Amino acid sequence: MKIVAILTALLLFISLYLIFAYAPIERTMLEVQKIFYFHVSAALTVFLAFGVNFVLSITYLIKRRTEHDMVASAAAELGLVFCTIALLSGPIWARYAWNTWWNWEPRLTSTLILWLMYVGYFILRSTLSGDKRKLYSAVLGIIAYLDVPIVYYAVDIWHGGLHPERDTKWNLEQPMQWTWMVSLAAFIMLFSLLLILRYQMKKNEARYEAIQQHYLEKAR
Amino acid sequence: MRILILASFLIVLVLFLTTQMPVILTAEQVSQSVSDAIAELQVAVDEDEMERAVQLSVAKLEHAQRNRLKYLASAYFIIWLVFMLYVLRLARHYYVLDKRLVQLEQASAHDEK
Repeated sequence: MKIVAILTALLLFISLYLIFAYAPIERTMLEVQKIFYFHVSAALTVFLAFGVNFVLSITYLIKRRTEHDMVASAAAELGLVFCTIALLSGPIWARYAWNTWWNWEPRLTSTLILWLMYVGYFILRSTLSGDKRKLYSAVLGIIAYLDVPIVYYAVDIWHGGLHPERDTKWNLEQPMQWTWMVSLAAFIMLFSLLLILRYQMKKNEARYEAIQQHYLEKAR
Repeated sequence: MRILILASFLIVLVLFLTTQMPVILTAEQVSQSVSDAIAELQVAVDEDEMERAVQLSVAKLEHAQRNRLKYLASAYFIIWLVFMLYVLRLARHYYVLDKRLVQLEQASAHDEK
């Protein structure tokens, strides 16, 4: 845990240094393009987080282990945080690049739908309890993940969106490419660190609930 | 935890202010440099007109750059703010849960005695 935390802090520091001191200023968008490094990294981390939720939801349905539900919900929560970051930093960039804060273009719309689906996931979790909560949220987690490929391939499926093509990020100048890759690694490490932390907290929550339950049964 | 968050914000701020500062050229410097170049080339130019044009273009460039930096700063500030709020919420939740667990375990140990 400590090693992951140190590595995350180090990678975040290096990525900030690379963004502001090493990466050259892009010719068309000038300084504003530097939003790209954290915006795209956050967006890709969303796919990873919801991917973890998807896999663990499936394994929960097969094995019915509480730990799988804990990790799945922790990953979904973090995915929602990263998705919020992508959805909030995007409009600032869009205002400069497209002269509008929001546009109902395919990628933006599908990302908003993704965010809303996982908000629904947590609303569902808060209304149910016990095994029902785990079961229904695992099913919803699997269904909600179907939107991830739609978000990723939105530009290819519906031509004419405002977002650039998927390959753009791989065709950057070398210093920009390095900076972006380090930023992505920093975000993935941050996600891993927060996931471990959140999982431990969920285990403590379960322990607390078990002790409380034990007390209630004793009182009866 | 709070110190860590504050430190991370200060690092971002310092990096932003120190490394992305543009090379500032004042209208006077540009004007002087253009005057020198014209003198060197020995061509006839209306110096007042030229100075006005230089000052206007420098002002426009500076305004555009300030505008771009505002967008950049806002985006990174929002990213930092979302993380900070989430981490603070986690820290608070962790603290409350830890306290309750200790209390509950102590009470349970006392009962068993």
